[in-house]
This record gives sequence, C-alpha cells and structure tokens, in this order.
Amino acid sequence: MLTKKLKIGIVCPYGWDTPGGVQNHVRDLAEFLIAAGHTVSVLAPAIDEDQLPDYVVSAGKPISIPYNGAVARVLFGPIAYARVRQWIGSGDFDLLHLHEPAIPSISLLACWAAEGPMVGTFHAAAKRQKVIFAIGPILEPAIEKLSARIAVSEAARLTLTDHLETDAIVVPNGIYARRYSAGNFQEKWAGNTIGFIGRFEEPRKGLQVLVDALPIIARFAPDVKVFVAGPGDPKDFEKEIDPQLRDRFEFLGRISEQEKADFMSSVSLYVAPNTGGESFGIILAEALAGGACVVASDIPAFDSLLGGGEFGALFESENPTDLAKVIIDLLRDENKRKQLSIAGKAHAQIFDWDVVAEQIFSIYEMAIVGGQGVSLSSDGRAWGRFLSRDEVKK
Amino acid sequence: MKNLLALGFLLLVGLWYLSFSATRLDRLHHRVETSWANLDVLLQKRAAIALEIAHSDLADPASSMLLTGAAYQARDADVKNRSLAESGLSGALGLLISDGLPHASDSEQALLQELSALTAKIRVAISIHTDAVSSTQMVRKKFVVKTFRLAGTAPLPVTHEFESDVL
Repeated sequence: MLTKKLKIGIVCPYGWDTPGGVQNHVRDLAEFLIAAGHTVSVLAPAIDEDQLPDYVVSAGKPISIPYNGAVARVLFGPIAYARVRQWIGSGDFDLLHLHEPAIPSISLLACWAAEGPMVGTFHAAAKRQKVIFAIGPILEPAIEKLSARIAVSEAARLTLTDHLETDAIVVPNGIYARRYSAGNFQEKWAGNTIGFIGRFEEPRKGLQVLVDALPIIARFAPDVKVFVAGPGDPKDFEKEIDPQLRDRFEFLGRISEQEKADFMSSVSLYVAPNTGGESFGIILAEALAGGACVVASDIPAFDSLLGGGEFGALFESENPTDLAKVIIDLLRDENKRKQLSIAGKAHAQIFDWDVVAEQIFSIYEMAIVGGQGVSLSSDGRAWGRFLSRDEVKK
Repeated sequence: MKNLLALGFLLLVGLWYLSFSATRLDRLHHRVETSWANLDVLLQKRAAIALEIAHSDLADPASSMLLTGAAYQARDADVKNRSLAESGLSGALGLLISDGLPHASDSEQALLQELSALTAKIRVAISIHTDAVSSTQMVRKKFVVKTFRLAGTAPLPVTHEFESDVL
C-alpha cells in the first residue's frame, strides 16, 4: 500500500447517473481510495447535478451517441473541454486516472489537456474496426501520453494492441467479494432453479438463448424454474416465450445488492448466455463470489474469467442445444455443481477490491515517479525550452 | 497575393506540426527515462533482497554463493553488462525458489513474500518501460522526425534483453 497520501483525479467518460460497468468501477475505486485516506475527485457527465456524491464534479449533461453497437452517454465539445481544463488546472492533482480514454469523451479531452503522471484504463473489447486507420493518428499522440495503461481483461488488452499497437497491464475489475459471500440461502429461489441477472431486453445479454433452450431442459427437469432479475419490462419478452413454458419464468425486476448476494447463494445455476460485447463480465465475478455454480457462453471474456471451464461451465455461444445439455448435466450432478462453486468462490478472491486496488496502487506509484504532479499542457513545450535556452545565453 | 497567403498558411501549419512532433517526442523520451528509473530502483531492491536471502538459512552454501555473486554483479554492473547480470540474478533466484523451500521460518517466509511482491511490481515496470521504448522507437522512425532531426542528440532508446526473461 502507498504510504504517501495522494491527490487523485479520476475521469469517468459515461453519464454518472446511468447504470453501467465503467461507472460502477469508478465509483467503487473512488470510494476505496477515499477510505484509504487519499483525496479523490471524479469528473463525470451527469444529468442531475444535485444528486451527486460530494467527490463527483459534473462536467455537464451527457449526450447519447451510437458507439460500438450500443448507445453511449458521453460528453465532449468546446464547453466540456473548457470545463475539463478548468478541473485539471484547479485540481492540483498528483495523478490522473482516465477511464476509456480512446473513445470521444471527456477522458480523451483530459488526456489531451493534461501533462504529467497519467494512468489510463481500457474497458472495452471490440473486434478490429476499419475506422481505426482514420482515427488512429489522432488518438496515438494522446494515448501515448499515458504513463501506464491498464486493461480490465485479456480481451480488452487484445483490442488495445490491435487498434493502437500499444500494450497494457491486465488488472481485473474489482468487486467487494465479502459482500457477496455473506448471502443468505433463500428457500424461494432454491430447487431446480436457474438465475439470470441483467438488462434482459438487450439482445446481446442472450436471454433469448436460454428461452430457446428451456423446452429441452423442461423435458428432463420438469420442475425447472428461471428467475430473471434486472431492469426492463417483461411484457414484450413474455410474448416470445412458448405459452406452455411461460409460467416457468419469473421476473423479479431490479434487485438490491443484498438480494443479489442471497440470489447467488440460493439458485442452483447462474446462467450468463451473453452473445458478445462483453469485455470483463463483472456479474460472473459476483456470481462466483456468491458461491453460485456458473454456466456461461464461451465468448473470450467469460472463457478467460472462468479459467477455460475450471471455475464454471462453458457452452458454445448462441447454441441453445449446447446450453440445454450443459444445464441438464449440471442439474443432475450435485457433486459437480458443488465442486465448481467451491473452486469458483476461491478464484473470485482475486477480484476483491483489496487485491485489485493494491495492483492499481502499485501502478500509480510507478506513474508518479519523477513527475511534479499534473498540469495543463501547452503543446509548445519544446518551443518554451528553446526560448528559455536563448534567454540563458543572453 | 492569394498564393502568398496560402503559402504562408501552409508554412504556419508546417511549423505547428514540427513543434507538435517535437513536443510529442520530448514527452516520450521523458517517459522512457522515468520508466527506466522506476525499473532501476526496483531492480536494486531485488538485488538487496537476494542478498538477504543468500545470507539467511534459506539457501544452502552453494546456492548462497551463487546468489551472492549474482546479486553483487547485478548491483555493480555498468550499462553494458546490466542486462546479462539481471538475467543471471533472475536465474539464480529462480533456481533457489524452484527447488522448493520446505522448512522456511516465519521471517524467511516474509522475505520470500516480499520477493514475490517485488517480482510482480518488476513485471509491471518492465511492461511500462518496454511500451514507452517501443512507442518512442515508432515515432523516431517517422519521416518528419528523421528529416528535421527532432530527436536532437538523444540516443535511440532500447529495450534490454533481460526484460523478456520470465522472472
């Protein structure tokens, strides 16, 4: 742990009050750092500026743009740039931590505007895009200012090396493992049950794959039930489900953190049938920490998080038959379930904030060596030196 | 007149680009230096811990001799021989640890733990350093940098061979 207390500025590119993995990560990290005695200021776009915690500074209202197959709520433009500069200028930070600095957002603006120790975290995983040939030369000079780069998963690191020819250190997303391991067993969710948490309306979350697999599963396990938790309106979705199987599904709506912990320790299987667009899979780490037996699609992020099947079962992505087979095997074999859930729970400790934050700290330490804190950049630094040398000669 | 204006504008853009590239390169050189300084400090610490291990009961006399030698070499090596010396120290430490340490006392356990934490940090420092070096090398290859000698007399940064060894 760092003995010196730092003043850290964190930039979150996405709207603070919209739910998302990056926002959760930034919030947890900021709160962990504050609890460890550091001074933290988070700059983020926000819709409702009155509802922010006192360590968050609003950069303005986010706008919605389509990015990477989803809608991103980000912010940029001259006014935002001025705000970013002002935040950096008045912050007197020892270090800046920029999240997702390669997308058009205040993170990129901060990277552009600041000079000094900077750490960047790359969250997204995407297939190689052609457009990178056009925007690469713009991004490169900014991205190379970062003293150290962090990728949240192997998938994110590959995306980075593919797109920008620069490497990164893999530090996973953090969870509060203890909160999840303290879940209470709930009878109502126990039995031959399958759990799913997420915004089920989004196709890439893959609930449809589970729906398609259910007729086969129901043949072998007639009393199977599926619990779906997460925000969204189930009405439209229920229409898609075979009427005979409709009563197998129960939609719980949004659940609290405590309920989530209970949920993970009660259901027989936790299923993550995501079809892609996932870079880390924080929900899987939470499920493992909660002691659930996990079944997930074999997309790269999940495959690496589950150690290639060591800590949870994998099935071929978007293949309902394979999913059904894996689920039936596990529902029948209690020992196998136990074994996976014990291995998974032990593995989940590496995602605990205590471990993750220490890794991030040691990268901070390396970034601040030799730096005199963060300042606003003037792109005429070389000129400045040139001129000052002349002055000395006089 | 119009032509002259356009020419002037182009000249300005050209000058701005030169200054921009020079700043960029300057920053990169700075990054290489600080990341190397980082790594250097950590490596020195490692040599110190290696010496401590060599003097503890963890090492048998033969490994102790090997380790002491490797640690002193790593500490005193000049730039030319540094890489070889660090590789040697990695190898000596690796040998000792791979032998398994069945009867380590508490204080010795602590020493080993310190070493493994340090090794993890060194890995991170190495990756930061090599990354800075390769970015710099890439920019140094650019046409505008070569033509206008924007790098001045700064030597081309290089990665060291020991950095690719698995520690």
